[in-house]
Amino acid sequence: MIVAEQKPLEEIQRMIAPYEKVLILGCGTCMTVCGAGGEREVSFLHSALRLAQARTGSNTHQFSEYTVKRQCDPEFMALIADRAREVDAILSLGCGIGVQVAAEHFPDTPVLPGVNTSFMGTITELGVWDERCAACGDCRLAETAGICPITRCTKGILNGPCAGTKNGKCEANKDIDCAWILIYERLERLGQLEKMRRYYPPRNFRTIPRPRRLVNLVKADMEEGNG
Amino acid sequence: MPASNFPVSRKASFDDSLMPPCQIACPLHMEIGEYVDLIAQGRVMEALQVIRSGNPFPAICAYVCTHPCEDTCRRGQVDHPIAIRALKRFAIEFGGDRMIQEEARTTYSEKVAVVGSGPAGLAAAYYLRKLGYPVTIFEAHSALGGMLRVGIPQYRLPREVLDIEVQRLTQMGVEIRTNTRVVSLDLLFELGYKAVFITVGAHQGLRLGIEGEESPGVVDGATFLREVNLGFQPSVGTSVAAVGGGNVAIDAARTALRLGAKEVKILYRRTRAEMPADPAEIEQALEEGVEICFLVAPIKITRENKRLRVTCIRFELGETDASGRPRPVPIQGSEFDMEFDTLITAIGQAPRIPEDFHLRIGKGSTIQVDPVTLLTNRPGVFAGGDAVTGPATVTQALAAGRQAAQRIDEYLRHKYPLPQKEKPPIAKDLLPKTIEVIRKAHRLEPERLAPQERVQGFRPIELIYDWQSAVDEARRCLRCGMGAEILFQDRCATCLNCLRVCPYHVPYLDENGTIQIPADQCQACGICVAECPAQAIVLRKPRDRRYIDEELHHVFSTAKQSGFRPLIVSFACQYGLFGTGTLSGLWKEAQASISIVPVLCVATVEPEHILRAFEMGAEGVFVAGCGEQCAREDTHFWVRQRVEKVRRALGQMGLEPERIQAFNVRVKEEDPVQRLHQFTEQIGQLYLAAVLAQEVKM
Repeated sequence: MIVAEQKPLEEIQRMIAPYEKVLILGCGTCMTVCGAGGEREVSFLHSALRLAQARTGSNTHQFSEYTVKRQCDPEFMALIADRAREVDAILSLGCGIGVQVAAEHFPDTPVLPGVNTSFMGTITELGVWDERCAACGDCRLAETAGICPITRCTKGILNGPCAGTKNGKCEANKDIDCAWILIYERLERLGQLEKMRRYYPPRNFRTIPRPRRLVNLVKADMEEGNG
Repeated sequence: MPASNFPVSRKASFDDSLMPPCQIACPLHMEIGEYVDLIAQGRVMEALQVIRSGNPFPAICAYVCTHPCEDTCRRGQVDHPIAIRALKRFAIEFGGDRMIQEEARTTYSEKVAVVGSGPAGLAAAYYLRKLGYPVTIFEAHSALGGMLRVGIPQYRLPREVLDIEVQRLTQMGVEIRTNTRVVSLDLLFELGYKAVFITVGAHQGLRLGIEGEESPGVVDGATFLREVNLGFQPSVGTSVAAVGGGNVAIDAARTALRLGAKEVKILYRRTRAEMPADPAEIEQALEEGVEICFLVAPIKITRENKRLRVTCIRFELGETDASGRPRPVPIQGSEFDMEFDTLITAIGQAPRIPEDFHLRIGKGSTIQVDPVTLLTNRPGVFAGGDAVTGPATVTQALAAGRQAAQRIDEYLRHKYPLPQKEKPPIAKDLLPKTIEVIRKAHRLEPERLAPQERVQGFRPIELIYDWQSAVDEARRCLRCGMGAEILFQDRCATCLNCLRVCPYHVPYLDENGTIQIPADQCQACGICVAECPAQAIVLRKPRDRRYIDEELHHVFSTAKQSGFRPLIVSFACQYGLFGTGTLSGLWKEAQASISIVPVLCVATVEPEHILRAFEMGAEGVFVAGCGEQCAREDTHFWVRQRVEKVRRALGQMGLEPERIQAFNVRVKEEDPVQRLHQFTEQIGQLYLAAVLAQEVKM
C-alpha cells in the first residue's frame, strides 16, 4: 500500500490561496487506509479550512468535498467531471499518482497535492506504518528470506551486515532493526544459511530508466493473419 | 458559516435496530432496550412514554410481571441480568405515571362486550376503546381485575395501583358492569353487542383427588386467596400447609403467615429445582419463615378434634415425564402423618365455562379458539387469557387482550388479519472473548422490607430504587441489537481499522476478505464508528436518537436564540453526567453559556464534531466522559487521540489548543467542578481578549 501524510494546514492554505472555489478530493483506497485522505480526512480538512478562513474573517474560498474510490484510474476522474468543472482548483488528497491522473484528466484545472506521498509500506501496529518496498524493479527477496535489504537496510547493501550493526540494531538509528540481522535470523530459521555465504554482485542501477513503463498486452499482429 | 452548508453525511431516518432477546421474550414485545437506555440517561419521563406505548397497564406489570425478559437477558451471560421489572417500576413511580390521563373517542357504532375483567379483559377493553369502539366489561365479582384483584396478594400488587388503571378505563369511557355474571351469550347479542370477548380466567382449583379432601379446613388456593382478597378474614389457625409448587402455593402460604399462622409448610412432591414458582418468590417465602417440604405429598386427610391429620408419602425422582421434569415416584412404606389446622390445595387451576355459552371446550377445560383469529366456534365470539391457555402470566394475558382487540377490530371492519412485520432478532450468545472484556458490574436490587416487617401485614414488600441506583442498574444494559454496522459497504476500503480498534474483538474478516461486524456480539461502544477512515460505519439507531451532527445543529440553533457568549460546547457522556443530574449542578456559576451534546459514549465523538463545534461559533469545547463508570477501559485513550488531533489543527490556524479539554467526570482524584470552572474562566478570558483586540482594530 502507498503511505502518505497530510500536508500541514499552512502549506495547504498557501497553495489554495489564489483559488476561490476548491474541491477537496479524497481517495478511497490507500489514502483511506493510511488515514491521509479518505472520507474522514476530507471532511476534517474541509472543516479545518472553513474554520481557519472564518478566523481570519475573510470569505475568499468556497469548498466542496468528494471522495472517489481510486484516484489512480482516469475512469474514476470521469465521475467527477461536473464537480471539477465548477471549481477553480482541485486539492487532491490522493497520492502523487492520484494528483497526476487528476491533472492529466482535467487539463484546465490546477490540481494541488494535499498529502506528501511517503513510501510503499505496511501497518506494523495501530497507527504505525513502515516502508517495505523501494520498487527497484529487480526483486531479490528470494535470496534474502523475504526481507528487503534495499529498503530496510539504511545503506541498502546487498552483502550484509556491515560493521555498523550492534545488538541487532542499525548504527544510523538505534530504533531500527538491522535488516541483515533479520535476514540472517530468518535464513537460519528456514535452514537456508548457505544463502548468507554467497556473494551478490552489485545491482546495475542504470537499468532503471525513468519514467518506467510496463506493457502487458500483445499487440495484434497483421502478419499472423488474425484478420 | 451558514448552517445549510453543514454536511450531514448520514441518512437521518435510518433505523435498523435488531430485536434484542428481552424484547422477544416479552409477550408484549415491549421495547425494553429502549426504555432501559432512557432510564440510564435519566430521561425517565420519556422512558415511561416508551413503556406506556407497549403496555396498557405498565404499573401492574411493574409489580407482578414474571419478567421472562430477565431470564433471556444477555447480561446474565456476563454477570447478572438487568433488573428490568424493578427499573420499570422506577420509571412508573418517578416518571409520573399517576398523572397520565388516557383519552379515547368513539368512532364506531358496533358495541363490544368483554366478559371477565382480568388482565386480558382489561387490555382488550383498553385497546378496543383506543380503536374507537364502545366497550362494556361484565364482571361477576364486585370489583374489576380478575386474578389481579382476587388472586394476587396485596403485598405483591397494592390495590390502589389496580384502582388507578381501572379509573383510567372509566375515564376512557369504558362501561363497567360489576356484580354481573353473564349466563348467556345470546342475550349479549340480543342486547346489541356485535362482538364478545370471553376472558373468564381459570379460577377453579384442581382437586387432589384423595380421601378426606371434602373435610372442613381444606380449601383450594384460588378460593382461599379470593376470600382474603375480597376482604374476608378467614381463620386459618396456627399451622397451615399449602400443597403445590407453583406461585399460588407460595402466595397462599405467605398469605396464611400474614393472617397470623405461626407455622406454615409447603408440601411439594418434587424438589426446588422443579418448582414452577418464581425463584425470587420462593426465596422471599423462605425468608419470611415458610418451610418447604420437598418430595412430599398428602394421600389422605382425616379430621380429628377440629384439626387435620394429613397422611403424607415421600417421593423420589424418576425418569423425565411429558412436562420435561423428572416424574415423582412414591416410596412404598414411607407414609407419615402431620397435623395442621388448615390445608390449602394449590396444584393447579382450570377455567369453568358455563355450558350455556355453547363454546367448544378442549383440553384442561379451556376454550378452543383459532390461534390466529382468536375466534371460538361461535361467530363474533372471541376468547383469550387463562380461559384459553390455562393458568398463565399477567403479561401473557395482556398480550392476549391486545391481540383480541386487534382481531375484533379486523372482524368488525371486515379485514383479513395481517401478519405483523417484526425486526430480525438477535439470538446468539455472547462469545467468551467478548464477555471477557466487558467490565463486570453487579446487579443492583431495590431494597425490600425486612421479613419480620413483611409478615405484619399486606404492605408491598419491594421498595423503589433511588435515582442513582436506577441509573447505574440501567447502565449495565449491553444494548443488544443497537451495535455498529457497515452501512456504506461500497465505501469500505477494508482497512481493518475497526478490527484493530474494537476493544471486544468483534469485527472479523470473512473467508471472502470482507469485514464483518456481527450484530450479536457488538457492544455499541462506537469506537470503530469514529475511527473508520471511510466513514462507512454507523451505530444502528434506536428511535428518536439524534446523530451527533444533528444534535450539534440542534444545540447551536438553541444557543443562537439565547445569544449569551462565550459559548462552550460539551460533548458529554449521556449516562455519566446526564443520567444522574450531576451535570446541572456543575456550572451554576459558570461565566459562559454551556451547551451540551449528549453522546452515547465520548469514544464516539469524532475530531470533525469537535472542529465543527468551533466552526459553528464555540469558543471552547470540552469532552466529558463518565470516567470509572465506563463499560470499557480504553475510552479515554480514544478521546485523547481525537482531542490531540483537533488541538494540532487549532494550533496550525493560530488558535489556542487549550480551547479544548477532556474531562473524566467521575474519577475520584479529579474535581470536575473545579476543573470546569477553571476552563470556563480561561475561555472567558480568551473571548474577552479577542473582543478587545477586535475593538482596537476598529
